[in-house]
Amino acid sequence: MDIRRFFGAAPGATKTKPVQKTASSAKEKGGVKKSSQTKRKAAVIYDSDSDEEVPPVKQQKTAAAKSAKPNKTEVKSPPSRKQFDPKPVLKPTSAADFFGAASPTHRVSRTTVVAKKRSGHDAGKANDVDSEADKELHDDEAFMETLAELDKSRKKSATMSISPDNKKKENGTHEKKPTKTRVDQTSPKKTREKSPTSSASPKKASPQKSKYFDKTEDQKMKKKIKLESQDKDEAKPDQPKKAKKPSPVKTKTEKTPSPKKSPAKDSNQDAEKKPARGAYRAYLTREGPRALGTKEIPQGEENCLGGLTFVLTGILESMERHEAKELVERYGGKVTSSVSKRTSYVVVGRDAGESKLDKVSQLGLKTLDEDGLLELVKTLPGKPYDLPPEATSKSKKSPPKKSPNKPEPAATTRKPVASSSRVESPKKPAASLTTTDSPEPSLLWVDKYKPQTTKAIIGQQGDRSNVKKLLKWLQAWPKHHSGRQVKEDGSGFRAALLSGPPGVGKTTAATLCCQELGFTYIELNASDTRSKRSLQEEVSEALTTRSIVGFQKQEDAGTMRQAVIMDEVDGMAGNEDRGGIAELINLIKHTKVPIVCMCNDRSHQKMRSLVNYCFDLRFQRPRVEQIRAAMMSMAFKEGLKIPPPALNQIIEATNHDVRQVIHQLYMWSVQDKALTFDQAKEASKQAQKDIKQGPFEVTRKVFSSGEDTARMTIMDKSDLFFNDYSMMPLFVQENYPNVLPNAARNNMKKQLSLLSQTADSICDGDLVDKLIRSRQSWGLLPTQAIYASVLPGEYMRGHLSGMISFPGWLGQFSKQNRLRRLLQELHMHMHLRTSCTKKSLQEDYLDPLRRRILNLLVTQETEGVPEAVELLSAYDLMREDYDGMLELTEFKGRPNLAEKVNSKVKSAFTRAYNKEAHMQPYSTSAAPKKKRGGAANSMDMEDGGEGGALEESDEEKEDPKLDPMIKMKKPTAAKGKSDSEKGKGRGKGRGKKSS
Amino acid sequence: MSLWVDKYRPTSLNKLSYHTEQAAQLKRLVQNGDFPHLLVFGPSGAGKKTRITCLLRELYGAGVEKLRIEHHNFTTPSKKKIEITTIASNYHIEVCPSDAGVQDRVVVQELIKMVAQAQQLDSSTQREFKVVLLTEVDRLTKDAQHALRRTMEKYVTTCRLILCCESTSKVIPAIRSRCLGVRVPAPSNQQICSILQTVCKKEGLTLPPELANRIADKSGRNLRRAILMLEACKVQQYPFRPDQQVVEADWEVFLRETANAIVSQQSPRRLLEVRGRLYELLTHCIPPDVIIRGLLTELIDSCDGQLKAEVTQWAAYYEHRLQLGSKSIYHLEAFVAKFMSIYKKFLDEGMAAMML
Repeated sequence: MDIRRFFGAAPGATKTKPVQKTASSAKEKGGVKKSSQTKRKAAVIYDSDSDEEVPPVKQQKTAAAKSAKPNKTEVKSPPSRKQFDPKPVLKPTSAADFFGAASPTHRVSRTTVVAKKRSGHDAGKANDVDSEADKELHDDEAFMETLAELDKSRKKSATMSISPDNKKKENGTHEKKPTKTRVDQTSPKKTREKSPTSSASPKKASPQKSKYFDKTEDQKMKKKIKLESQDKDEAKPDQPKKAKKPSPVKTKTEKTPSPKKSPAKDSNQDAEKKPARGAYRAYLTREGPRALGTKEIPQGEENCLGGLTFVLTGILESMERHEAKELVERYGGKVTSSVSKRTSYVVVGRDAGESKLDKVSQLGLKTLDEDGLLELVKTLPGKPYDLPPEATSKSKKSPPKKSPNKPEPAATTRKPVASSSRVESPKKPAASLTTTDSPEPSLLWVDKYKPQTTKAIIGQQGDRSNVKKLLKWLQAWPKHHSGRQVKEDGSGFRAALLSGPPGVGKTTAATLCCQELGFTYIELNASDTRSKRSLQEEVSEALTTRSIVGFQKQEDAGTMRQAVIMDEVDGMAGNEDRGGIAELINLIKHTKVPIVCMCNDRSHQKMRSLVNYCFDLRFQRPRVEQIRAAMMSMAFKEGLKIPPPALNQIIEATNHDVRQVIHQLYMWSVQDKALTFDQAKEASKQAQKDIKQGPFEVTRKVFSSGEDTARMTIMDKSDLFFNDYSMMPLFVQENYPNVLPNAARNNMKKQLSLLSQTADSICDGDLVDKLIRSRQSWGLLPTQAIYASVLPGEYMRGHLSGMISFPGWLGQFSKQNRLRRLLQELHMHMHLRTSCTKKSLQEDYLDPLRRRILNLLVTQETEGVPEAVELLSAYDLMREDYDGMLELTEFKGRPNLAEKVNSKVKSAFTRAYNKEAHMQPYSTSAAPKKKRGGAANSMDMEDGGEGGALEESDEEKEDPKLDPMIKMKKPTAAKGKSDSEKGKGRGKGRGKKSS
Repeated sequence: MSLWVDKYRPTSLNKLSYHTEQAAQLKRLVQNGDFPHLLVFGPSGAGKKTRITCLLRELYGAGVEKLRIEHHNFTTPSKKKIEITTIASNYHIEVCPSDAGVQDRVVVQELIKMVAQAQQLDSSTQREFKVVLLTEVDRLTKDAQHALRRTMEKYVTTCRLILCCESTSKVIPAIRSRCLGVRVPAPSNQQICSILQTVCKKEGLTLPPELANRIADKSGRNLRRAILMLEACKVQQYPFRPDQQVVEADWEVFLRETANAIVSQQSPRRLLEVRGRLYELLTHCIPPDVIIRGLLTELIDSCDGQLKAEVTQWAAYYEHRLQLGSKSIYHLEAFVAKFMSIYKKFLDEGMAAMML
C-alpha cells in the first residue's frame, strides 16, 4: 500500500519518470531478493497470504521480520487494516518457498524509492505533497510500471545475467538500510536458482507472506510505534479509494496532459457550431472522405507512435476520422480533440477547423497531412509499451516458461497478491491464498475477487461514501435504538435502503459492513419467499433469537450484533410476496436490529412506501478509472493481458457495471490470455451491454444520418426497433414527415416520393403487425422491424428537424373510442325510432337532426325550445345525448353552429327538458338496469303525476325524486303538448297509453 | 314529431313505393307462414330494414311493432364481460353482434342459441318460429360466422334468421348458401325524386323538381340521406327555390376541404396537416373506406385522364390494404403521400411541357 504512496510522489514529476521506472524495477528485483533473504533466515514461517492481513494471534517473530520492520512500519501500514477472514492457514514452509514468492519486492521497492527521493534524484519530489487524487493516479501507473519492470527484470535474471539495475537499486537501498542491501546482493541469484528447485506449491508461498506481514505487524505493535500505525490507519481508508478512482491517466496521458477525450471533443464541436447555424449545417452535411479506402494503411511497428499526441482536424482523403483515430491509437499514439502545447502533430485535412489552425500556428506545432501520418506510422521505430502492454508481453512469454521453470508461476502468483494488496487492497485473502497458480476453477472471478473489506469496494473509499455512511449508521444503531428507547431525532432510521444500478456493489457493501462491525446477519433475497407471513415467521423469529456464535465468543453484548439484510426488495412482487413490503415496513418500525434493504430503483412505485422508513443511501456507478484500476490488477493476477484503452472500452460498454466487466474479462481469459487492442475492441463491441434508450432517442437514431448510424448494420438498426416494438412503429410514423432526407436535398419531388415510399413501408409494417396480433405469430416481429423502422429510416435518413413528438395515434385512438361509445349509446337510444346502422346514423342522421334543433334554438330562441325538446324526446334522446350529438358532428375548422345558440336559450332548453318527464325505453345510467317492465311502471306513475298526484306514487316503492327516469313535472302549458307527443312516440313502442 | 324519414316510413309490404315486384314476392314468400333464412343485402339507404320490418309485420301482425330494448350480459371464456343491447318484440329479436367487437362469437353462440332453443308455448296462435334479425353481418368476424353456421341448421324449426348487411362479400359462402339472398338495390334517382315529392305533398310543401333532382344526385341514391337532406333544406330555407343550395353534412364538407388541401399544396408539412384532418374524421367515427372514397372523388376532379386511372388504382390499392391492416390512419396517409408524390410529378411535367 505504501508503495503507492511512494510511487505517487515520484511519478508526479513526469520528466524523471523513465529513470524512475527502471530504477524501481531494479529495486523491486532487489527487493525480492532482500525479502527472500530475510525470510530465509526464518527457517519455518507460518504465513497467510496478503500483506493486508494481520491475524492478531500470530506472534512468531523472526529475525528477518525484525530486520524488515523499519520499512514496514512505514510501508506496511496497510496490514494494520482489519481483515476479516483472519484464519490464515498455517503451513510450515521451507525457506525455499520464499524465493518462489516475490511479494516482498514491493516493500523493498518502496523503500528504494524513498531512498531515491531523498537522494534528490527527483526534481519533482515537491509533488509528493500533491493533491491526493493526483497521487493516486500516479500510484496506479507506478504500480503498473513496477509490474512491468518486474517482469522484464525477471526475464533477464532468468537468463542468469544479473542486471546492473539490481546493483543500482541495491545502492539505493543501501542508503537506508545497510542490512538489507547486504542481503540483496547475495539474493538475486539465489532467488532465481532456488525458485525452480522449490517444489513447494505457490499456495504455500503466499501464506508465508502474510505470515511475514503479520509478524511485522506484531512487532510494530510491540514496539509501540503506535503513532505511526495510527497515521497509517488513517491514511488507509483514503488510499485504496484513490488508487481505484483516478487511475485513468496512464503513462500516455501523462505525457500528453490533455483533458479527457470526450469533454474535449464536445467542446470542440461546440466551437464548430458557434460560428453560425449555416456553418453548422455545412458541417453536418459536409462530404465524407473523397477517396475512401484508396490508400494502403502501412503496417507500423508496435507502439511506434507511443507517446505522441495527435489532433485530427478536417476531413482526410482516404480515411474516416474514426479510422484515423483508431490507427493512431493502435500504434500507441493518443488522439485529443483540442490543440494544445503538448500536441505533437496536427493532422490537417480538408475543411479543417479554423480555430484549430489558428491555434496551431500560434503554438507553432507540426502539421501533417494524411500521407504524413501514414509515413510516420511506416517509418517510426517501435517502442516498448510503457506499461500495460509490457505486462502483457511478459505474460505472453510466461506460459511456455511455466512448465519447465517454477519461478515464473511463482512470480505470477506473487504479483497478484501484491497487486491486490495495493490496488484492490480488498481482494480476498482467502482467495489470494488459493489464487496462486491453480486457481480453483469452480470459483468465478466475481467471487474470487470479491472485496474482503469495505475499503476494497470499488468506488466506496471516501469518507463521504455510502459505505462509510452505512458503517457509521450501523455502528451507531445500537446506541440509537437500544432497548425500548424511543428513537432519537436525527439519524433515527431503523433501516437503511441501498439503491443503485446492478453491479456496483450494494450487496457486497452491506455484507462487508456487517462483517466488519461484527454483526451476524440474515440475508433474504428474491430467492426466498418474502410474503407477509413468511417474513413474520422467519425474520421475526430470527430477530428474537441469539446466535450461538455470539455465545461462543463470550460476547455478552452479542445480542445486539445482529442485522437483517433484505436484498432485492424491489423484487418483492407477485402473489408469493404479497404484502411483503408492508410487512417489511412493519418490521422496520419495531425491529430491534438494523435492517438493510437493497433495491435497484428507489423511485419505483413499489418502493415508495418503504423509502420513508429508511436511511437513504444511493449508490452511483463507479467511474471508469475506479473500475479500471481494480480490473487491471485482477487481469494481471490472472495473467490476462489487456491494454487499458481496451479495458476502458469494455467498462464503458458494460455501462460501468463492475460485475459485468469481470465476467467479460473472465470470458476472454478462457479464450485467450492475450488480448490485442483490435481483439479487445471487437470484443468490447460484443460486450456492449444493452443500455436502455428512450423511444425519443431511438427515433432520432432511426432517422439520423450521423457518424454512429452510418456504421450500423441492419441488425443494429432493427435492434432499435426492438427497444420497444409496440411503440417504435408509432414513433416512426409520427415523425417521419419531419425528416429532411439527405437523398432529396431541395428536391421536393424526390422528397415526396421518398415520403410516399416511407408511408408504404409503414403500411406494410402495419399489415405485419395485424398478422402478428391476430394470429399470435410473433416470429414475424423482425419483419415488422424492417418495415416499420429500418426501411423508413433508410428512405428518410437525414436531418430530423424539430422535436420528436409523441405519437398522436394513442390520443386519437382513445378519443375515437370515446366517440364511438358515444355513438353507440346514441344509436341504442334512437334505435326504436330509426332503422339505420351506427354508420349511417353518424353519416346521415346526426347532422340534419342537429341542424334542425340548432336552427330552432338559434332562429326562434326561446320560442323554439319546446319544439326542440319535443324533437329530442321523439327520438328518445336525453339532454346529455344532445351534447354527445354535438360533439360527434362538430369538426375542427368548421363553423360551430352550437356556439350561436344564446346561453340563455341553452339554459332554457335544459330547463325545459328537465321540467318534463321523459320516458325512455332504455334504462338510464343512474337507474338500475330496467327492462321494459320497469319503464312501463314508471310511465304509469308519471301519468298519475300528470293527473296531479305525483307525490302519491309511493306504491311503486320508488321515490320519484331519486329516480332519474322520472322528472318532476308541474302541470304546465307544455303538458298537453308533451302528452300528445308522447302518444305519438308510444304509438309504436308502447301499448299502454294512459290519461 | 320525428324527422320525415321516420315519419313517412312505410310499414307494410303493400305500401312500399319502389321495387314493388320484390315486395310482392316477399309477400308471397311469407304467405304460407314459413320462409327460409334470409340474407338481405344492399347499399345503405336502399330500404333493407324497412323491407324487413314490413315482412315481419306481414308475418306476425301489428304486435311486432311493440318493441322493447333489452340488455344482455355475457361472459366470454376469458372472463370478460360484454353487454349487448337488443331490440325485441314478442316475435322477433334484433341483434347487432358486431357491437361486441371481436367477442361477437360469444354473442352469436349464447344469444341466438338462447332465443332459438326456446320453444313457443302456444304455437296455434303464433308462428312456431321466432325471427332473429342480425344486422351488420358483414362486420361479423369469421369466427362468429362459423359459429352461426351450425346454429342456423340446428334450430331451423324454432327460429329463422334474417341477416342484414350491405355487402355479401364478407359473408362466408357457407352462410350465403344457407340463406335465401334478397338483394335490395338502391332506388334510382327518379324513384327518389318521386318519393321526395310525395313526402313534400304530405307535409304540404311544394318541391321544385330541379331541387329534388339535385338532392337525389347529392344523396348518391341513398333514400334516407335524400329525405334527410330535403328536410335540412327545408329547415334552411322555405319556400324552396330551385337553385337552393343542398345542405351537406359537416363531415362531408370537411372531407372535401381536406382533399382541396391536398391538391393545393404537396409538401411534408401539408401532409402533417392532412394527417390531423384525417385523424379528426376517423375519431368522429367516419369509416376509413368512406374517407378514402370521398378523397378519391374530390382528388380525381383535379386530375387529367391518365392520372385519374392511376390515382383510382392507388386508392383501391390502399383501401384494400386498409382492410387488411389495423391502423387505418397509416393507409390513408400513405394514400395521401402517394397522391402528393404522383401529383407533384404530374405538375412538374406539366410545367416542363409548358416551358417547351
